[in-house]
Amino acid sequence: MNSETLDTLDSYSKNKYKYGFVTEIANEKPNKGLNENIIKFISQKKNEPEWMLNWRLKAYSKWKQMKEPKWANLNFPEIDYQDIYYYSAPKGFEKKPKDLSEVDPKLIETYNKLGIPLEEQKVLAGVAVDVVFDSVSVATTYKGELEKLGIIFCSIGEAIQKHPELIKKYLGSVIPPGDHSFSALNSAVFTDGSFVYIPEGVKCPMELSTYFRINAENTGQFERTLIIADKGSYVSYLEGCTAPKRDDNQLHAANVELIALEDAEIKYSTVQNWYPGDEDGKGGIYNFVTKRGLCAGKNSKISWTQVETGSAITWKYPSCILKGDNSIGEFYSVAITNNYQQADTGTKMTHIGKNTKSKIISKGISLGKSQNTYRGEVSFLRKADKARNYTQCDSLLVGNKCGAHTVPYIDSKNNTAVIEHEASTSKINEDQLYYCRQRGLSHEEAVSLIVNGFCKQVLQELPMEFAVEAQKLVSISLEGSVG
Amino acid sequence: MNIQDNYLKNKKNIFFSENKDIQTHREKLIKIFENDGFDKKNNESLKNINLKNFIDFKYRYLISEETSVINNNQENNYSIVSVNGQCSSFKDDKIEITKIIDEDYNDFSKNETIENNDHFVNLNSLFLNSGFKIVIKKNNNISIKISNIITDDDLTIFQKNNYICEEGSSLNLIEEYENKNNSTSNILNVIKLEKNSQLNHFLIQDNSPYHNLIITSHSSCKKDSTYTQKVYNFSEGYVRNFHYSELIEANSEADLQGIFFLKDNNLSNNKTFVKHLAEDCKSNQVYKGILNDSSKATYFSNTHVDQVAQKTEGYQLSKGILLSDNASYFSKPELKIYADDVKCSHGSTIGPIDENAIFYLRSRGMSKIAATKILISSFINEELSSIDNEQMSEIIQKKLVRYLSKVK
Repeated sequence: MNSETLDTLDSYSKNKYKYGFVTEIANEKPNKGLNENIIKFISQKKNEPEWMLNWRLKAYSKWKQMKEPKWANLNFPEIDYQDIYYYSAPKGFEKKPKDLSEVDPKLIETYNKLGIPLEEQKVLAGVAVDVVFDSVSVATTYKGELEKLGIIFCSIGEAIQKHPELIKKYLGSVIPPGDHSFSALNSAVFTDGSFVYIPEGVKCPMELSTYFRINAENTGQFERTLIIADKGSYVSYLEGCTAPKRDDNQLHAANVELIALEDAEIKYSTVQNWYPGDEDGKGGIYNFVTKRGLCAGKNSKISWTQVETGSAITWKYPSCILKGDNSIGEFYSVAITNNYQQADTGTKMTHIGKNTKSKIISKGISLGKSQNTYRGEVSFLRKADKARNYTQCDSLLVGNKCGAHTVPYIDSKNNTAVIEHEASTSKINEDQLYYCRQRGLSHEEAVSLIVNGFCKQVLQELPMEFAVEAQKLVSISLEGSVG
Repeated sequence: MNIQDNYLKNKKNIFFSENKDIQTHREKLIKIFENDGFDKKNNESLKNINLKNFIDFKYRYLISEETSVINNNQENNYSIVSVNGQCSSFKDDKIEITKIIDEDYNDFSKNETIENNDHFVNLNSLFLNSGFKIVIKKNNNISIKISNIITDDDLTIFQKNNYICEEGSSLNLIEEYENKNNSTSNILNVIKLEKNSQLNHFLIQDNSPYHNLIITSHSSCKKDSTYTQKVYNFSEGYVRNFHYSELIEANSEADLQGIFFLKDNNLSNNKTFVKHLAEDCKSNQVYKGILNDSSKATYFSNTHVDQVAQKTEGYQLSKGILLSDNASYFSKPELKIYADDVKCSHGSTIGPIDENAIFYLRSRGMSKIAATKILISSFINEELSSIDNEQMSEIIQKKLVRYLSKVK
């Protein structure tokens, strides 16, 4: 292991959760609780047209009749939806700043602590960042350059104002508000998120990226992201998450919808590192995310890559509906759980079109007293001729108090489709450990190296910007629980 | 008629309805039925089943005039003909066969997870009307063949059999289910293996299209014991094979295998559940299915490894071949692991017959049908060739040929 990695490990071991700080900015928020007035308040604050408000209210009335899905292998106390703030925007951001000098310096400082100074990113990484601080999108960079290509990259609130025809057509088309209770909740109260539209034939020249960040105490984050890739286009989207250290559980129920039309390709990468709670399982984020992509056109492709290391509870199943003939769905995942974390994550591949292909690579690592579940469904419908799926899910257990579970659902209704599934569970190979230790690595370094190797298949799918961060995250997540 | 009325009406014909404890338990079961009401949505083990036949059934049971026959023609070889789930008592120095008694009711039936999830076992407990108990005495090595005969149409048999293999004993058990009448059998086998004992359990199922067979077994293995189960399902009627296995002491082993051959509108539900509760245990679950016409199958497998069950080896494999457009196969191989020093894996494949293999055979002059038949036989060859009982092997080969003759 090189000295750089060791340094990082060192620095992380000193301050336990690097991103556990709170920026003191006066928050403007309505009362706690969820009712029609709050939804009207949100809609009014965001200056939304009436059809949007009606859409939200309709979702709310659906939510009222629904119960949380209970099938996941998770244990958590009942969520009190009336004890949550549904809107919080930093004051003074009602009107958007045109550039960084107009942004509150304290906010900029927060991003600096996170290691993503906007100025630097503008110059160095070539990434256009649409930052969500609590609920209002703060600054958008590189917009001009994207505009030249006709790419729309803005907050969803702005898109509702400026591109109502696209929103009306696509919002809720992949995840209907009534799909389950979390999607209904999100549809009713979503405040911000990103909107991306890539016009026909355009290959987006840079990785689009959003940094989500939860700041105000007791504020649930309900982002809504919608990405549309028109015919023959390509886009790679990065999403990264960190959250300040808090003791109260925070609810996070985002919805992400992807739509790929004919010959289009969307690559969606996530590094999720919300606050997981302390060593005794106190605090931490509840992360109930619905992510779904629709390969609507022929030859389209959607690829999900995720590195999940944070959150007290992760409930997340990025899925692909392979509707167009010859479309491709991919899912690469690393989920690491430590202490009392619980993760129930996986994917759903629904093959509808002919010659559709999907690939699932999932790596789960359980440490401490955590529970890590892979739950995936692959289904071939009647008309999915010659469809193909390959699934591999491996689990690694470190310590004897944690659990690793695999729950795949495999359903084939077509006799030309081929499905292959394999899974294994084991502990870290003693021989490999011995080999590494013999060459002078400490036990912890050796474990970290082996685990990184175990995840490599997934990590290499990440774009460069994320790959380095993700590798460090993997090492940090193992810290203190091995040996 | 709902289940409660049905039960009350036929109470006098049902076993142990005088026993207070059992009565209380049965009342509890009725409550579970009422609350849950065979909720298909939340109980995947009920997938695809036409529940009407099983909830709203006409209870009918006869004690046949034909009596069961127990033969001990060769040394260590017994053959039993059980009639409507009953078997007369028998005793020698190697085995003992008796009717089941009140105490046997408690085995497995009173199990909270089962009560809430497996309604067919609950039905069995509720309407229990037949069954026997076989004890294999210490250090004996014997073979038993049981033919299950049902004498009349429209019978509902709810049978519970207990098998106990005492220390050091070894049993080869062959069970045949070949019924041509349209009855329903709901059978629960509870198997206990004491230290260092062995049981090879073969089940051959070949019923007519109108005969429903629901068979559930539960085996618990103590130290150094081995339970092997091989199920061959050629039935044209509905068959449900649910098998639970618990490895309760160190170094025990469970091996659950099954092959099903489906055609027409047939449905087969299969489940294997292995619970590792002690260290150094091994388990293996292999199910293979061939589905033709509009047949449907489900297979749930589950390996549960407890925190104390270190050095566990647990393997699962599920394979399905779909021969027709309308066949469908659902499989859910599940692993639940709470110990770290384990080797567990599962594999699952569903697909058509390999086209390249067909091409290879056809290019050597074989017709398409002949090639398909050869490839189906080779798909299950591993399991068939591992049968070390010649007589069994012959029976199964014959049935396979019969099945293949219908493949087009």
